[in-house]
Amino acid sequence: MALFEAHHLHKRFADQVVLEDITLSFEVNQISGIMGPNGAGKTTCFNVLTGRYRPDRGKVLFDGQDITGLPPRKIARHGIARSFQMMNLFDEYTALENIVLALPEVRAKGFSVLHDLAHDGSAQDRGAAVLARIGLAGREHTLSSALSYGQRRALEIGIALAAEPRMLFLDEPTSGLGTDATATLAALIQEIRKSVTIVIIEHDMKFLFDLADRIAVIHWGQVIAQGSPEALGENEWVRASNLGALA
Amino acid sequence: MSNTPLLRLDQVHKTYNQGVFNKRITFDLQADFSIQKPAIVGIMGPNGSGKTTLFELITGSNNPSSGQVLCCGQDIHQVRSDQRDRLAIHYHQSYQVRHFRKRRPNFMLQPSQSDYPMVHLFDEPQFNTQDGYIGFMLDFFRRLRSEGRLVFLCVHPNEPFHLQIMREICEQYIFVQKGRLTQAPNFDSLLQNPDVTAYLGELVDGQAA
Repeated sequence: MALFEAHHLHKRFADQVVLEDITLSFEVNQISGIMGPNGAGKTTCFNVLTGRYRPDRGKVLFDGQDITGLPPRKIARHGIARSFQMMNLFDEYTALENIVLALPEVRAKGFSVLHDLAHDGSAQDRGAAVLARIGLAGREHTLSSALSYGQRRALEIGIALAAEPRMLFLDEPTSGLGTDATATLAALIQEIRKSVTIVIIEHDMKFLFDLADRIAVIHWGQVIAQGSPEALGENEWVRASNLGALA
Repeated sequence: MSNTPLLRLDQVHKTYNQGVFNKRITFDLQADFSIQKPAIVGIMGPNGSGKTTLFELITGSNNPSSGQVLCCGQDIHQVRSDQRDRLAIHYHQSYQVRHFRKRRPNFMLQPSQSDYPMVHLFDEPQFNTQDGYIGFMLDFFRRLRSEGRLVFLCVHPNEPFHLQIMREICEQYIFVQKGRLTQAPNFDSLLQNPDVTAYLGELVDGQAA
């Protein structure tokens, strides 16, 4: 069943057409990939799907409900979380504090939150459970700025998971990661896929081909190809490039 | 409709002048051809020869000095500028461009008779053999053609694989030089044109059948 659907999305900035007639659907409990060369419109597509931009035309449906043009916070309340290409962590807080701040029950308390944090045992436990899930058990009291780059990426995903989303959008999760950190991240995504439907935008073809159940290739603001990694991998040029490994 | 060509350029001239009192023609493009059926057409030519101007004339973003551009029988310059992309689309490298010089307000112009663009013009798409996307792009061109559309592919060949791609995918060619167009029905006849071989230089070696 398609949990998330986009129908005929159009988006322009001045005289540049960034998205034209994009139709995509993401199945429940699958990992879907969106890839494309630089400037193809991947991030704009993500921003429209997650409510940061309003499409000029077209519809976005989540679990059958029309969420087109809703502001990001309302979309988040439907159970959709996202990460960013650039990281958004509070450097002066520990890993655990970063997660606890993202817990829905803590956010609901608003400004009084900093007072309670140290005494809120259940929030601390829930935060620690999220950290364990993303492989950062034992790092609770490390400042987020002191974590390695790969761990910071994982923490970002942890912050998105803290809200217990049904759907998680990841924008270029491998950017800036080395081979080992990328492999760790792939394992983390395999682990969390059991409980959340995932969409990944990625420039790294190999990473997506290994993880995704279905991939859409975006270029010139359109979906120029889509299918399973096996089907897309049959293309002779794709094989010749060794899944972009030569790039 | 079946006799209407997908694209017809009828005595199209575009001249650029310099000077106000003592006018001097600095550039002059002439095009007169028609393409009846869906196809993938390769366009080549030196810098400044008029390739992009030709594309702009076809998409209705740049007005001809005289003559008509008929997309599916409709004069694209008489179509509302916000609906011209339902006839023809210009892709510049990785973007789609919509920029129209307005001569008349839209309400005085005709609506487009087509809902989906029939002519797709790709202006120097970035082909990189190493990232694999090239394969998806070529399949996309083929898909558009099989859906009954007309595809123009303008490549500035500076590596042998650019020519291989053109040869593999294009069914006919247009060579543009100094504002004049030469059509060739296939790759081999394209290479018989001495202007083409002079333009391609060393790239031609090993391409001749």
